[in-house]
Amino acid sequence: MDEVVLHLMDATYRHSLYAPRTFKPWRRIRGQGIFSANLSLHKGTILGLVGPNGAGKTTLLRMMAGILPLQSGSVHDNDEDRGTVLSDEHLRKLVGHMPEQVRWQGRKTVRDALLEIGEMRQVSESRIDGLLKLVGLQSRIEAPLNELSQGMRQRLTLAAALLGSPKILLLDEPLNGLDPVAAAAFVVLLGKLKDKGVSIVLSSHQVEGLVEIIDRLALMHRGQILTEGTMIEVAQYLNLDKKTEITGEGDAPDFSKYGVSDKSIEIEQFSKDWKAVLAKSEPGLLKKLVEDGFEVISWNVRQPNVIEMLCAATGQSIEDVGLEVSSTAVLPLRTFRGEEE
Amino acid sequence: MSDFSRIMLFAKRLMLERLLSTRMYIMLPILLLFIPGMAWGFSDPNIVLPGGHQPDTAMEVLFYASLGVVFGATMCAVLLSYDSVSKERASGVLELRLSQPMPRSHQAIAMILGSWRAILGPTWVLLLFSVLIVRYRMGEWLSITDCLVYFTSTALILLWYVLFTLLASSYTREQGTAISFGVGLWFLFTFLWALVTTMVAYASGVSIGQENNAAWIMLEGGLDLLSPNGVYHHLLETRLPQIDRGIAAWQSWAMALVWTVLPSWLFVRRMEKILP
Repeated sequence: MDEVVLHLMDATYRHSLYAPRTFKPWRRIRGQGIFSANLSLHKGTILGLVGPNGAGKTTLLRMMAGILPLQSGSVHDNDEDRGTVLSDEHLRKLVGHMPEQVRWQGRKTVRDALLEIGEMRQVSESRIDGLLKLVGLQSRIEAPLNELSQGMRQRLTLAAALLGSPKILLLDEPLNGLDPVAAAAFVVLLGKLKDKGVSIVLSSHQVEGLVEIIDRLALMHRGQILTEGTMIEVAQYLNLDKKTEITGEGDAPDFSKYGVSDKSIEIEQFSKDWKAVLAKSEPGLLKKLVEDGFEVISWNVRQPNVIEMLCAATGQSIEDVGLEVSSTAVLPLRTFRGEEE
Repeated sequence: MSDFSRIMLFAKRLMLERLLSTRMYIMLPILLLFIPGMAWGFSDPNIVLPGGHQPDTAMEVLFYASLGVVFGATMCAVLLSYDSVSKERASGVLELRLSQPMPRSHQAIAMILGSWRAILGPTWVLLLFSVLIVRYRMGEWLSITDCLVYFTSTALILLWYVLFTLLASSYTREQGTAISFGVGLWFLFTFLWALVTTMVAYASGVSIGQENNAAWIMLEGGLDLLSPNGVYHHLLETRLPQIDRGIAAWQSWAMALVWTVLPSWLFVRRMEKILP
């Protein structure tokens, strides 16, 4: 296993919410947030944070960036036995944070905006010019912030996060507003940073497209990290087998004849062809289908994808949930050393 | 780079941003009319104030001209700083700043200094013009001590309004509320304070509005310590021996210290705990 560069131990942060009462108009209660998160970041790896809207991804990133103070738990600079506890200020030195959608505005130039952040991190001017070149803004150095497009603003935010060569990079929805070419270039840049030993945490709704570069995956739901590991480890933890996708021409076969139960197969019949997804591998099925005269066009065995993992972990299904935001009003039940919260 | 240099550098950036902003260009003519304009008017040798009084020293003329600071410069201080925190918070830049290793208290101090110096610079230049105007019109220079008190008091009142506005800006999530709070506070201390004084006097059984009523003057002097504008005038009155409102110079300077330290401390504390 790679060296651990950051370890969250039982880290908790719950947002403070107004709950006024007649005689207590300023009363506040603790609402949703992050509950007892345990997470290790490994050197030179990319961790994808995935969860439905309101799962707490941004809150977790802010905790890791030293912006939100931990209400309980701790952050260590190594694994929990060997590492020292980091203060918020130490954490901020270690981490480069790219918040979601910074709306840079004003008559200030791109260079001045970055210089301002750079001075707060004690970064030299020459490094700033280099970073602007790296994110593709060298031709816009003297442009006022008001004239930047959304994609350019994202690039500028990324440059700000890279200031001071942080060991850990936290990226919240970094692909928002980037055109496809820029997004591809961004993925290449992440790969280079990873090779240099930078640990990257990536929260994105478009994680599906980033699966190829993600080393580890953390599934979040209602303020908790449900599971974390490599894609294969997560799939095993969730008891998800490899799926078999079959496509063919004509009418779809009756799979029950071949011993495949209805529960473990999804069949879609189109006008001229059909598609079936088997939850488990079925040895010998392809041979039987061909022998019975079915025209099989493709046969593909694949790992379960992120959406399937998320649905399995949260108990949600795409059909049931649709676009509904999962309720965060109800605090999750979780066992804390034998006691339920 | 030392912490001090870092704070000063950040403050300079914030100052330049405000100093060169469109709203400063809009407010400059107002400041020009209010500060040197009032000095020009009150230094007229033929001026007769209500009650038949004629100002006869340079400090007295500048004391009356300080109304320009109270009405114009303080309002500009509010308008320059009302979005210092709320705008950055709404745009997400604050989150980026809060994730930097520069301590939040240092960032807060830089914000105070940046916003304050942006209004202080032009105001001091215009005050200097006022001193020159008074010299030209009355043939009398302001003494060094008078000058020091005048410039320092003006700097302090601007700082207090900047601090109130920054505090409001840090508590509000949108700029409309921030500006309402700043302008509301300015309105209270500039226009409504006389009403507060009158109500307290009435409740205390002091005759209201009678000239040379010692009890009224003492009460008004005491209550003025609770208003930044009142403390400003108390500070200027320390250089006018003919005015006695029952407040000693040390009391005025002590209250000036309270008005400076308390909101500064509150703002720094607020910034240390602020959430993006």
